[in-house]
Amino acid sequence: MGDILGLVAKRLGLGLIILLVISVIIFFMVELLPGDIAQAVLGQGATPENLAALRKEMGLDQPAVVRYLGWLKGAVVFDFGNSIVTGASVSETIGERFANTLFLATYAAVIAVPVSIVLGVLVALLRNSIFDRVANVATLTSISSPEFFLGYILILYFAVNWGMFPAIASLRADMSFVDLLHRTFLPALTLVLVVTAHMMRMTRAAIINLLASPYIEMARLKGTPPWKVIVRHALPNAWAPIINVVALNLAYLITGVVLVEVVFVYPGIGQALVDAVSKRDFPVVQACCLIFAATFILLNLAADVGAILTNPRLRHPK
Amino acid sequence: MSVFVILYYTLLLGASCLAAYFNKRAAFLLLFSLTLVSFVLGIIGGVAALRIVAIAAGLLALSAMVAYAFREFLIVIASQNMAKELRTAPLTAAFGMFVIFTVAIAGIFAPFIAPFGEAQVISSAFAPADENMLLGADQLGRDMFSRLVYGARNTVALALMGTVLAFTLGALAGLLAATSGGWFDQVIARTSDVIMSIPSLIFALLMLSIFGGELANDTTSFYLLTGFAILTGLLVVSAVSERSVIGWLIGITVLVGVAVVFAGAMLIIFNPSEIILVLVVAVIYSPRVFRLTRAVAGNVVVMDYIEAAKLRGERTWYLIRREILPNSTAPLVAEFGLEFCFVFLLIAGLSFLGLGIQPPTADWGSMVRENATLISFGDITPLIPAAAIALLTVAVNFVVDWMLYRSSGLKV
Amino acid sequence: MTKKKEVLLKIRDLKIQGYSDETWIDIIKGVDLTLHRGEVMGLIGESGAGKSTIGAACMGYARDGTRISEGSIEFDGMELTTASESERRALRGSRIAYVAQSAAASFNPAHKIIDQHTEAPLQYRLKKRLEAQEDAMDLYERLRLPNPQEIGFRYPHQVSGGQLQRAMTAMAMACRPDLIIFDEPTTALDVTTQIEVLAAIRDIVEQFNTAAIYITHDLAVVAQMADTIKVLLKGEEVEEASTKEMLDNPKEDYTKSLWAVRSFESPQRYRPKDGVPLISVRNVDAAYTGGEKVLDDVSFDIYEGMTVAVVGESGSGKSTTARVITGLLPPMKGEVLFKGKPFPASYRDRTKDQLRQCQMIYQMADTALNPKVRISEIIGRPAAFYSGLKGVALKNRVDELLDLIELEPSQYYNRYPPELSGGQKQRIGIARALAAEPTFIVCDEVTSALDQLVAEGILRLLDRLQNEMNLAYMFITHDLATVRSIADEVVVMQHGKVVEQGPKDEMFKPPHHPYTDLLLSSVPEMDPNWLTTLLEERGVDNVGDAASARIDPNDPKVTGANA
Repeated sequence: MGDILGLVAKRLGLGLIILLVISVIIFFMVELLPGDIAQAVLGQGATPENLAALRKEMGLDQPAVVRYLGWLKGAVVFDFGNSIVTGASVSETIGERFANTLFLATYAAVIAVPVSIVLGVLVALLRNSIFDRVANVATLTSISSPEFFLGYILILYFAVNWGMFPAIASLRADMSFVDLLHRTFLPALTLVLVVTAHMMRMTRAAIINLLASPYIEMARLKGTPPWKVIVRHALPNAWAPIINVVALNLAYLITGVVLVEVVFVYPGIGQALVDAVSKRDFPVVQACCLIFAATFILLNLAADVGAILTNPRLRHPK
Repeated sequence: MSVFVILYYTLLLGASCLAAYFNKRAAFLLLFSLTLVSFVLGIIGGVAALRIVAIAAGLLALSAMVAYAFREFLIVIASQNMAKELRTAPLTAAFGMFVIFTVAIAGIFAPFIAPFGEAQVISSAFAPADENMLLGADQLGRDMFSRLVYGARNTVALALMGTVLAFTLGALAGLLAATSGGWFDQVIARTSDVIMSIPSLIFALLMLSIFGGELANDTTSFYLLTGFAILTGLLVVSAVSERSVIGWLIGITVLVGVAVVFAGAMLIIFNPSEIILVLVVAVIYSPRVFRLTRAVAGNVVVMDYIEAAKLRGERTWYLIRREILPNSTAPLVAEFGLEFCFVFLLIAGLSFLGLGIQPPTADWGSMVRENATLISFGDITPLIPAAAIALLTVAVNFVVDWMLYRSSGLKV
Repeated sequence: MTKKKEVLLKIRDLKIQGYSDETWIDIIKGVDLTLHRGEVMGLIGESGAGKSTIGAACMGYARDGTRISEGSIEFDGMELTTASESERRALRGSRIAYVAQSAAASFNPAHKIIDQHTEAPLQYRLKKRLEAQEDAMDLYERLRLPNPQEIGFRYPHQVSGGQLQRAMTAMAMACRPDLIIFDEPTTALDVTTQIEVLAAIRDIVEQFNTAAIYITHDLAVVAQMADTIKVLLKGEEVEEASTKEMLDNPKEDYTKSLWAVRSFESPQRYRPKDGVPLISVRNVDAAYTGGEKVLDDVSFDIYEGMTVAVVGESGSGKSTTARVITGLLPPMKGEVLFKGKPFPASYRDRTKDQLRQCQMIYQMADTALNPKVRISEIIGRPAAFYSGLKGVALKNRVDELLDLIELEPSQYYNRYPPELSGGQKQRIGIARALAAEPTFIVCDEVTSALDQLVAEGILRLLDRLQNEMNLAYMFITHDLATVRSIADEVVVMQHGKVVEQGPKDEMFKPPHHPYTDLLLSSVPEMDPNWLTTLLEERGVDNVGDAASARIDPNDPKVTGANA
């Protein structure tokens, strides 16, 4: 077991270092701007006095490294300073939106993960049949379509033509949970469509890859029925790749959510990021990027740790 | 019960029975399950749902026929070796090739095909289709069809450029890292790990927020582009010159010249904000290309013939060019297609968000955004450019799928 | 020994097709086979003979990409070709069992050995779980596995290869089948481990009077195991006879040629009285990055024009020694001298001429030749690279080299490696090494991937070239028959150390170092009674790993007092 703990600790440490490097990239990229943020806020026509005053106020008179450390210290406790457009606290602006985004991603994941794994196993079992081929074409099409295409099609049919779900997923504080699920169904479904296709294909590939192993042939030659070959002999060894697939796609959900939020005007962090980018509100951009990157890294980390924990060779060392 | 419904079920059931009679198991399974699904659909969605199924089936049949004919056409005009390969292409791949071919024609000959100019206002906003305008007008009264054709040119050209840049840098680094190994391999691998830990769309937004404003000018984009070209070129120089000092001196001189000329030429073709977009895409996707190429080349460098060549004293450049590349072309070509899809979707997504290709340039992503409001009136106009994006990506993916299948030799 | 009893398996005119290049082609072209209860039949043939495919077909099983196209397979009165899939499946594991070549790959890494063992008995509801486990332990004991009560509760990767192979045989026995198919069960094992597995398999098959089909390419092994032998060639039967008759009196030319293979022996050369060795390995320690020491104080010399065979089992450090000499793995300690002068440790630091002197021929000709490069360039490149030959001169040189390796130049000049057979590819590999005009060639298991006849051709060719060009060879091999036929001097390695070295004639005469002795005595011989005699001599528990663990560290031969 010591081996496993060591590996997990090593992986966690690596994740932390990568996160740190990324925070450096995110912070210092903004430093590349000609002039500085104060210049960007006040524009070309600003007087030197105004600039100096603002610089002092924002702490820009200090060296970049000191400011970075201050920013990082704040980031750890979820304090990203104030927006340079509205002046409001960044964490307050995006805090609730981040929760909304997480809700949407979880909603999609709860549907997509079980469905895609079951379908993936099923398609692997039926490989080379007509269903497999239809599924192949369908999933490929779904993966290749941009999220906004799927989103608008769903709006056109489910919202406009049939009126089953609302087209705009705006939220109110006093909504019941069922109401909430109903309102956010279309954006969640869009995400589910994209992610399920992906996960299904990769689950199928992971299992079929294993079916070429000698121990699968051995199982067949022991008279094991086909479903049991997959469930008992292939699946336990496929966990590592499947966990990887799931984490990869959950991470993908986090990115895909940006476009979907814009299509459905959903008050999530993705939309906040897009707004901030077009308004060039750098503290918000930095905060959103760091949050997205951290989630992404966390998920990959979870996948790696999961793969380590399910590996029989590591779990039962010699 | 309308005549349509009766006809619909009769046809389906008849076809199922025929398939069963002639022992076409696969066809029967498909047709009969479609029949069963239709019962459920018919009860829930009524005739409208069945109509959609019928139209979809018709479209599928039509594309299958187009694909079949196009494949036969290609087989006829191709050389003997190519024809043998092409015969193995499934209909999906043939369909993919047909779509790519069509988009390429539309893009290259856009000014001759489009009836109106790219930014030419010819009627009122959102005017419906008439004999003049095949697909109606957009929010400023420009012809949708013409903009769609020009969009093929702009969007695809940018995506292609981005892919080529990302691919050149990533593939070169991957080949070099696999061949030389050691610290060089480690440094590049760790760097790409870091870049890949930021979700691509998020990283693109971050970079665009910085380079998108006043920095999107001729000077900045020229310097950035030259820098990128020099970075790529350094990899080539290091592989060619290895430890010879003179080789490095000559290499770097040539390289700087080439990079400047390249950057200048690019600036003539694209405007600065487009160049920034291409570079952003290239930076984001080159680590992904690197990782894939490293894996493909990694499988080749463990071969004994590479060891034999190394022991002979061959240079890295010879190893890459003569020993590794010929054995990795098939997966690399497939990879190029795959990366193109990613890049294309990213650019379309950015344009859809209003942060990619800037108006008045016609582009599929921004066309969706500009006409998005129409969707709430049940108008499918904004879906047309979105469908074009999906169609091209699907097409490329179909072809890639076939090539991957061929190159892996997997019979699963 | 043949037991003429009830017929268990009857195969008539079996044809099996394989899918390649978009068409189905015959790989088994009409084979008949009759097996009685309790009889052991050896299926023998070279690679591509279709042994393994027939083995699978005996279970009514066709691997992915193959199909049984014609003929009948009748198992105990039941026709397998027309039976339904579930009927056939009901036989597998219960009445016909299978033992695969690589036990390490054929056990599922995710489950304990005993859980895989009891899977079939539970599936067929023959036994309760605990009964099945008791029975498994009993079988482990019969197969002389250490700790029979406990070993089953380990995971496959926690058990060594030889033990795993016996555990798999036990698993095949779980339902007391009527027939077991052994598909090259000892091919992946070292010779010393092979013996204990062979002995265990033979005993258990006899104890339960199980019929077996024993598939192998090794004649000496099949002679120990089988009552009757069937020889196959390219999907067709050559001949079938009882083991004794087959060994004493083979009828067909092909069979005779198989038996005659080990006749080639090159006359032994001796070291010059005085002179500098061409290659001299001095006190070399080496390790792969971050790993344990693989070589420990290795020293030996190779003189001009002589062949030194380096012998040892897998993991003994033979190939690592070659990597140190060629400069692929710089040593931690010690050095390699070339004609008395130190060779730079890394190949990157060697001059073109130093690189030219020392060439290599590889085990797997498939991976040693670039499949996308023409033969003319594969052979021509070293000639152009070192000697700067161009145009007509280069073409002439390539033709000359092709002549040397006995391949018709005009026929092979423009072809690609995948179009050639294994032996031809190996010849091209030799030509590539010769093109550099070296004085020293490392031959890394060059014949072990080849069929015996082809291998013999390669050995003869290497010997001829050595005489013509005064080449020195370092011949890495695990096969003592190869050593007998080509070596002048022998170096025996174990666990990264040289345990014994000397001229060939001395090495094959006692007294030996105990490890050399074990190695020599473990090589199967054609005599059908060899295994029985050996086991009687040494005792059933003193073979294989047990024996090598028992080597006395204080033996004077081991401490080197006499080496």
